[in-house]
Amino acid sequence: MNMNISAGFGSGDTPRAGHRTTQLPSQTGQPPPSRGRDAEAEHLIDLITRASRGHEDAFAELYDLTSARIYGLIVRVLRSAEHSAEVTQEVYVEIWRQSARYDSSKGSVLAWMTTMAHRRAVDRVRSVTSETARDEKYALRTVDRDVDQVWDGVEQTLDVERVRKGMGSLTAIQREALTLAYFGGYTQSQVAQLLKLPLGTVKTRIRDGLIGLRDALGVEA
Amino acid sequence: MSEIHGAVGSYVANALDPDERREFEKHLAVCPTCSREVAEFSETAAELSSLVQAPPPPMLRSAVLSSIQQVRPLPPLPEDGPEAEPRRAAGMARTEPDGSSAPVDELALRRQRRTARVLSLAVAAAMVVALAMGGWVVNLVQQRQTQAAEAALETQLLSAPDAKVYASKMPDGTPVSFVVSKSMSKAMFVGADMPDPGGDQLYKLWMVPPGAGAQPVGDNTFSGGGSRKVWMQSGIADAAGLAVSVEKDANTPQPTTTPVVVPI
Ligand SMILES: [Zn+2]
Repeated sequence: MNMNISAGFGSGDTPRAGHRTTQLPSQTGQPPPSRGRDAEAEHLIDLITRASRGHEDAFAELYDLTSARIYGLIVRVLRSAEHSAEVTQEVYVEIWRQSARYDSSKGSVLAWMTTMAHRRAVDRVRSVTSETARDEKYALRTVDRDVDQVWDGVEQTLDVERVRKGMGSLTAIQREALTLAYFGGYTQSQVAQLLKLPLGTVKTRIRDGLIGLRDALGVEA
Repeated sequence: MSEIHGAVGSYVANALDPDERREFEKHLAVCPTCSREVAEFSETAAELSSLVQAPPPPMLRSAVLSSIQQVRPLPPLPEDGPEAEPRRAAGMARTEPDGSSAPVDELALRRQRRTARVLSLAVAAAMVVALAMGGWVVNLVQQRQTQAAEAALETQLLSAPDAKVYASKMPDGTPVSFVVSKSMSKAMFVGADMPDPGGDQLYKLWMVPPGAGAQPVGDNTFSGGGSRKVWMQSGIADAAGLAVSVEKDANTPQPTTTPVVVPI
């Protein structure tokens, strides 16, 4: 069986599960970021369209191009290599199953996939932690580290640098609220408890954080 | 701006609890402003994933590709289905397993949740088959009952750079696999549905050294009747093959029935 993961905009050759590395082989040159990104987005649409007609090779390429992002996101939310591999596999099977229902007029392939992956990861976190309530002290201890890890664990590349800059344009509290909600998998109420802020404030900070980031990244839906 | 609009960020970040989510989705179905923001924020959130990229374990690729062979892609949604508004952005953030992105009502939500549960069982079942057929399954349902240490070891094996799956069949046709990492000098026998061999017999695992006969390996006998995962924890680095046979005597030093041998 073929065990290679070919280079895409997000795959590496470090085989350790759960180890946070970032390698972006196709972006080590200096392509104009926006054109390269558009071409990549178009290519992903082509791949998912072919996958929806049963082409497993197109799906394999889609996996190669996206799995570092999808798996990385799931690991980040779940922090468990075992759960993450399982959830990642479920997510890709689901993407395959629903490939004909992806609608490019509603958004990018990557957003569609990421939404599905994030939702599943969060569902898993909540179902696991509802059995053993998440230790409040642990959560508090890791707040700072959470935010730091997102900042430190990333190599400087053009694409990543854009997003980092976007995060840097937010206020500290917006960044913290968004990070805890999106990467931490906490509900807005839990974020409010962790940050000792009123729920309404947290809600606003998360939304403002996304608005700030959206504007900084120049994302058009 | 009314209070409910404000939850749009938390909705995209999946930071609403189930009641809040239901409430927001009712609003989303009738609010074009929020629909547009959901679409935009979903793109933004997708970009955040570039900050946390991590290469998946190498074997996940073959696991995914072998499990999709058991799953038929759904047909496209009918053009003039319940989704009257063609550019309803909300659908993108609501990727329920049945693929519907129709406006949300209580009944639909309940139906979707039921589908989700049924589906994950179906996926789990498909994965068991995939594994036995030579694909790879990460953890299956048993994971929750497995000791943490053992689960960690399993993950280590499955994510070893040289991990390979060798598939074979028992004489009665039951599919079995060995997951092997020579660098770790460990292997795991996996049978998704091992029948009871009958007559007080057991299954026994063997290691075959180069140019020699089969030798017992580790804690190596197990009974039939269900799915089995059995570790082979030593001597695997030097083995030329692994084997399983049906035995009456758990302590027999050599196979007494024709073993199923897998060269590694
Ligand atoms: Zn609204």
